[in-house]
Amino acid sequence: MSGWLSAILYILLAPVAGGLIAGIDRKLTARMQRRIGPPIFQPFYDLFKLIDKENVIVNLYQNLYLTGFLVFNIVAGTLFFAGGDLLLVIFALALSGIFLVLGAASATSPYSHIGAERELIQMMACEPMLLIAAMGLYLLPHSFQVRDILAVDKPLFLYLPGILFGLLYILTIKLRKSPFDLSTSHHAHQEIVKGITTEFSGPALAVVELAHWYETILILGMIYLFFAWNPWVAVPATIGLYLAEILVDNTNARLTWRWTVTSSWLIAAVAGAGNLIVLFYFLKAGF
Amino acid sequence: MKMTYVALKSLFSSPATANYPAEPKTYYPGTRGHIVLEVSTCTLCKICEIRCPTGAIQVDREGKAWSIERMKCIQCGFCVDSCPRKCLSNDPQYTSPASEKITDRLDVPYEPPKRKPKPETPPA
Amino acid sequence: MSNRTIIPFGPQHPVLPEPIHLDLVVEDERVIEAIPSFGFIHRGLERLVEKKDFQEFTFVAERVCGICSFIHGMGYCQAVERVMGITLPPRADYLRTFWAELSRIHSHLLWMGLVADAFGFENLFMNSWRIRENILDIVEETTGGRVIFGAAKIGGTRRDVTNDKLKEIGRTLKTIEAELHAITDVFEQDYSVQQRLRGIGILSREDAFDLGAVGPTLRGSGEPMDARCEGYAAYRDIEVEPIVESDCDSYARCMVRIREIYQSFDIIRQVLCRMPDGETEIKVKGYPNGEHFARLEQPRGEVLYYVKGNGTKHLDRFRVRTPTFANIPPLLKMLQGCDLPDVPVIVLTIDPCISCAER
Ligand code: SF4
Ligand code: SF4
Repeated sequence: MSGWLSAILYILLAPVAGGLIAGIDRKLTARMQRRIGPPIFQPFYDLFKLIDKENVIVNLYQNLYLTGFLVFNIVAGTLFFAGGDLLLVIFALALSGIFLVLGAASATSPYSHIGAERELIQMMACEPMLLIAAMGLYLLPHSFQVRDILAVDKPLFLYLPGILFGLLYILTIKLRKSPFDLSTSHHAHQEIVKGITTEFSGPALAVVELAHWYETILILGMIYLFFAWNPWVAVPATIGLYLAEILVDNTNARLTWRWTVTSSWLIAAVAGAGNLIVLFYFLKAGF
Repeated sequence: MKMTYVALKSLFSSPATANYPAEPKTYYPGTRGHIVLEVSTCTLCKICEIRCPTGAIQVDREGKAWSIERMKCIQCGFCVDSCPRKCLSNDPQYTSPASEKITDRLDVPYEPPKRKPKPETPPA
Repeated sequence: MSNRTIIPFGPQHPVLPEPIHLDLVVEDERVIEAIPSFGFIHRGLERLVEKKDFQEFTFVAERVCGICSFIHGMGYCQAVERVMGITLPPRADYLRTFWAELSRIHSHLLWMGLVADAFGFENLFMNSWRIRENILDIVEETTGGRVIFGAAKIGGTRRDVTNDKLKEIGRTLKTIEAELHAITDVFEQDYSVQQRLRGIGILSREDAFDLGAVGPTLRGSGEPMDARCEGYAAYRDIEVEPIVESDCDSYARCMVRIREIYQSFDIIRQVLCRMPDGETEIKVKGYPNGEHFARLEQPRGEVLYYVKGNGTKHLDRFRVRTPTFANIPPLLKMLQGCDLPDVPVIVLTIDPCISCAER
């Protein structure tokens, strides 16, 4: 399959798949809490309802920033699925995050300000690990191109267990799940109200939601890379890891940002960098 | 991590919640839901009206009616306890939600016993 | 004056379904000071005593609070009964104790859910409330109400529960208790929960005592004080050992409540096996004349009831000092110097019930 075809498929299908995943996530979460839970298509109903609502904005730039958030999310995903440069993907993703922060910071509410601040802190916690992951994936094919990484004929996760673990750890941050749902979460009850999304409503919130679905698919794609040598392993492994993520969400309290930053850097340094160094010398020694 | 056991156990057992209102709730026989009046035994004595802490009951002797403001009633059951004729009771079913304050007015067929007409004193 | 912001917390806030307003003066994410304001839901219930006759007023007293409602009604009745010199039939005393302890269990379970929600542990929240629902079912079955029991009246109780039913309830409670262990273990041992509770919101024993803290807030700071030891109702026969923790932090207050739940199960067990037979109410004649202070232990702490009668059907004065009211000054003390994410947790560890604090 040519890269561009899958990129187009990503743009068209990611919202559908992302929404479905969100629906299944909500259903499973509900069942873990002994609730019946919403129908699986609930996220779509929510999205359409949000789009239908009146567009209330607090200032002119807000929607511009949010569009930026969505567009760069899609750009990152498209690059990834087209088999492009992994580093570029990571930076595009970071850029989209910055747009979201700008959107929140442009409002005057103290809640969204603190949410924005926390989002920045979360990005700070994530970025080192993401870069280490990119470097780790580079080592075997000697290329940052996703299509080259895909072509590697070895089970990458066996070479990069520490990096996979570190990546999974920050995925919890990226997916806004407990214990790291600091800047905003899907449960309304929080010390900073809805945090970064406090001041978004109606269609603006729909954009955030849609972007989040794109992001979910991209993240799942990244996990897939580690198992890509055999799709029969990769698909169940990716699903399994996402389910584990839901379980973690349901078995942990929200931690504070200090703890988040310290622990994610520690893991990036120990598991991520350690893995990188060991692998580097192994490869040099000619394994 | 202690929660994993509870979460997994919950995942594989049936939900504790009900699909209300598609599945109606079952009440206990003693639940204080809403007040019903047995009109045939009421004597329009007004005791329930006086006793009700919220003033939800109105007894109209002239119009021969007993009425209750459903949204004002707090289901305390004090009227049930104090009615001398035991014609009030608590039904387990809650008052259904409404968008306006409803007053239920019931006609009471009670006939007050006719006072014996005083023997008319013949005009002197 | 570096980077200081004021973050409004309440009266409408998703974490705190209670209408208190705190202005949090924060520097970065550290709270320097908390300035409270009150009076959003003052309902004037104390004044209402001049309008309602003293028997009717039981229902008003019960509605001072929506969670510890039964003990409010019971406290009011107890005060009036003392004024009128009424001694209750023993079965009434035991039934009241039974319901009071059930209401303590359901209140503490509610609190467990709320605090879990405050630190973002949704699953724990849902599961605590699921178990609470079983307790509410027992309450509904025996009294007819779910949170407003409406079971106390001056001179006894309004309903009786058959002995067979009580036996059955005893068995149900045993299964509930077994189920509860899985949840309370999480509070006691889970790493992320400990991260959010240990060392947070320190209230030293001296501060707790001087600022007039009551209930689990006081006992979490190591002061063994429990109004149930006064021996009202059936507590005169049943030994209640105040539950104390000495860590003085949020975790200690949490543990006090959790251990109190098990203590309540134990008290209920004793009540059920000692339940005397006989009447549940006596006829009340005359009107109260005189005054009395009643002290009772509510889930949130000690409540004071003062009534003054003048020999007519209306009381002269009625006054409640609810536990939350007493716990606000300690709360403000705890909030100084904490981190913003800990504010909801700390506020919840006093188990605030602002609606009853403002009456
Ligand atoms: S319902 Fe009972 S208390 Fe009320 S008027 Fe009729 S008889 Fe009297
Ligand atoms: S239940 Fe209570 S509030 Fe309702 S009508 Fe009877 S006395 Fe009045």
